[in-house]
Amino acid sequence: MVTTVTNLGRSGLSDWLIQRTTAVILVAYVIFLTVVIGSGDFQYAEWKSLFSQTWVRIFSLAALLSLAMHAWIGIWCVATDYLTSYVLNLKLGPFFGAKANILRLSFLAASAIVLFTYVVWGIQILWG
Amino acid sequence: MAVLIYLLDESLASEQQFNDVKMLTSSVMFKLILLAVLAGLIYHSVAGVKHLILDMGIGETLEGGIAAAKLVFIISAILTLLVGVWIW
Repeated sequence: MVTTVTNLGRSGLSDWLIQRTTAVILVAYVIFLTVVIGSGDFQYAEWKSLFSQTWVRIFSLAALLSLAMHAWIGIWCVATDYLTSYVLNLKLGPFFGAKANILRLSFLAASAIVLFTYVVWGIQILWG
Repeated sequence: MAVLIYLLDESLASEQQFNDVKMLTSSVMFKLILLAVLAGLIYHSVAGVKHLILDMGIGETLEGGIAAAKLVFIISAILTLLVGVWIW
């Protein structure tokens, strides 16, 4: 049986729930940062001590991992909807239509590299 | 996102770099880039919250969907404007 092999949860329902859960974490983190940055003119020492607190690091890492999962699910949806032999054949002709699978997998691989880089970079910022 | 992670990285690296970020964010060109990034984030967030409300079964009609979409545009525009005022 052929089934999905590149989506995050390997199940639509799982992806759906992960997308919502990570969305809530991300919007909470955006509101948190907005309130913090909006609360006054920060100097380096205060800013540094804020991000040295364990709970801020945990919250930041949760948001970062959520970002990677959320973005992967979103990118996967777009790529598997539009980077298909049917769509590429229709829009760009048979040459690209025949190469849809390799184009889509390359795009997904490039996206994975970018997202993985964000995660490692973020961990380095928070704990480096 | 790379722009925002870069800002966090620089702002936490050292006091010198923290002040460099403050300098950078005072240039008009960078303010425009930052506003474009934040406008995208705001619109995506507001539209995302709309989806969560729809998931709760609120507004699942054609009229509700059209009204919600218009509301998302209006709220996003207002928030983007406020952020623009804040940055400048």
